[in-house]
Amino acid sequence: MPKSTDTLSVATRSRTGTPASNALRREGKIPGILYGHGAEAKAVALEAKAFEELLHAGGRNRLLTLTIDGTTQDTALVRDVQRDPISRRVVHADLQRVGATEEISASLPLVTTGVAEGVRSFGGVMDVIVRSIEVTGPANALPEQIEVDVSALGLYGHVTAGELKLPSGITLGIDPATVVISIEPSRVEQEAVEAAEPAVSPAETPTVGESTEPQA
Amino acid sequence: MLTPKRVKWRKQHRGRMRGRALVGNTLTFGEYGLQALEPVWMSNRQIEAARIAMTRHIKRGGKVWIKVFPDKSVTKKPAEVRMGSGKGNPEGWVAVVRPGRILFELAGIPESVAREALTLAASKLPISTKIVTRSSEMGAVS
Repeated sequence: MPKSTDTLSVATRSRTGTPASNALRREGKIPGILYGHGAEAKAVALEAKAFEELLHAGGRNRLLTLTIDGTTQDTALVRDVQRDPISRRVVHADLQRVGATEEISASLPLVTTGVAEGVRSFGGVMDVIVRSIEVTGPANALPEQIEVDVSALGLYGHVTAGELKLPSGITLGIDPATVVISIEPSRVEQEAVEAAEPAVSPAETPTVGESTEPQA
Repeated sequence: MLTPKRVKWRKQHRGRMRGRALVGNTLTFGEYGLQALEPVWMSNRQIEAARIAMTRHIKRGGKVWIKVFPDKSVTKKPAEVRMGSGKGNPEGWVAVVRPGRILFELAGIPESVAREALTLAASKLPISTKIVTRSSEMGAVS
C-alpha cells in the first residue's frame, strides 16, 4: 500500500544548544532539524503532542507535508527520533526533505502474520532476528511495513531477507541471505546445557597469561 | 552463575555510576524487558536469583536474554581487620548498572505471563525497575 501523506506544523528556532533545547521541551515542544536537498539545515521546533500522535499512528515511515512557520510547505520524512531511555519521551527529531517520487532508502518494520507450525505443534519460539528491513525505492511507493506469513515454518525453519515479498519498484538494501526470522527450540532444552557449567570463585578466576592447565 | 572465564587483573578500581545508561537501554531481542531505574552494582547472585525466578514461572517455552554481565570484581577485607595493608581479596562479581539499562528480555510467551515473570525477577533485585514492551518502546503508555 502506498504511503498516505500526513501534515505537521514546524516553527523555525533561532536558539540552539542544550539550555535552549531544554527550555523548548519544558514548553511542550521538541527540538528538531530539517535537512536535505542540498539546502541549508534548519533548526526547527515541533509540537510534542502532535508529533507523538503522528508517530503512534504510524507516521514514522510516512511522507509528511510540513508547514514551516505557517507559510511555506515542504515534504519530508522522519529520519531519526531520539528518545529519553527512561521516560520514552521524544527529545529530538530529524526530518529529511524528500520529493514524492525521489528514490530514498528507508528502514521498514517487519510484521509477522499467523502462528508458526514449529511454535503451534512443537513448542518452539519464534525469534525475530531483524525487526526492520532496509529498502530503497520511490518515497511515495514505500509500504508502511513488510508483512511475512510464518504459519508454514517448522522447528529450525527460517525466513531469509531474499524470501520477503516486496512491492514492485522496491529493492532490498540488505544481503538476501540474511536470516530475519527463525524458529528455535524451547528454553527447557537449552537450560540443561547451562546447568552443567561449574561456578568459579573470584579468587580462582585465572588472569591473562596465567596457565589454566595443571602443572606437572 | 555468571563469572568471567579469565581476567587481565584480579582487582579493579571502584569507579563511579554517574548518569544514565548510554548503551543497552532499548529492547533488542525480546518482546518484553525489565529496565533499571536506579544505579547499582548488581551481583551475579542477584542476576542468577532473578533468572531462576523468571524461568521457573515461565515453566516451559519462551526465551530469556540476560542483558547484563558481571564483569567487575569486587574486593572485601576480612572481618575485624584494621584499615591499611592493601586492598582486600576478590569476593564476587558485579555488573555496573545505570538507570535505563535493560536487564532481562523475554519473548515467545503471552504478555500476562511475561509481566508476572518480570515482576518476580524484579523482587530479587536491589533496585526499582519497570517493565517495558515493544509498544511502550515506541512511546505508547503501557
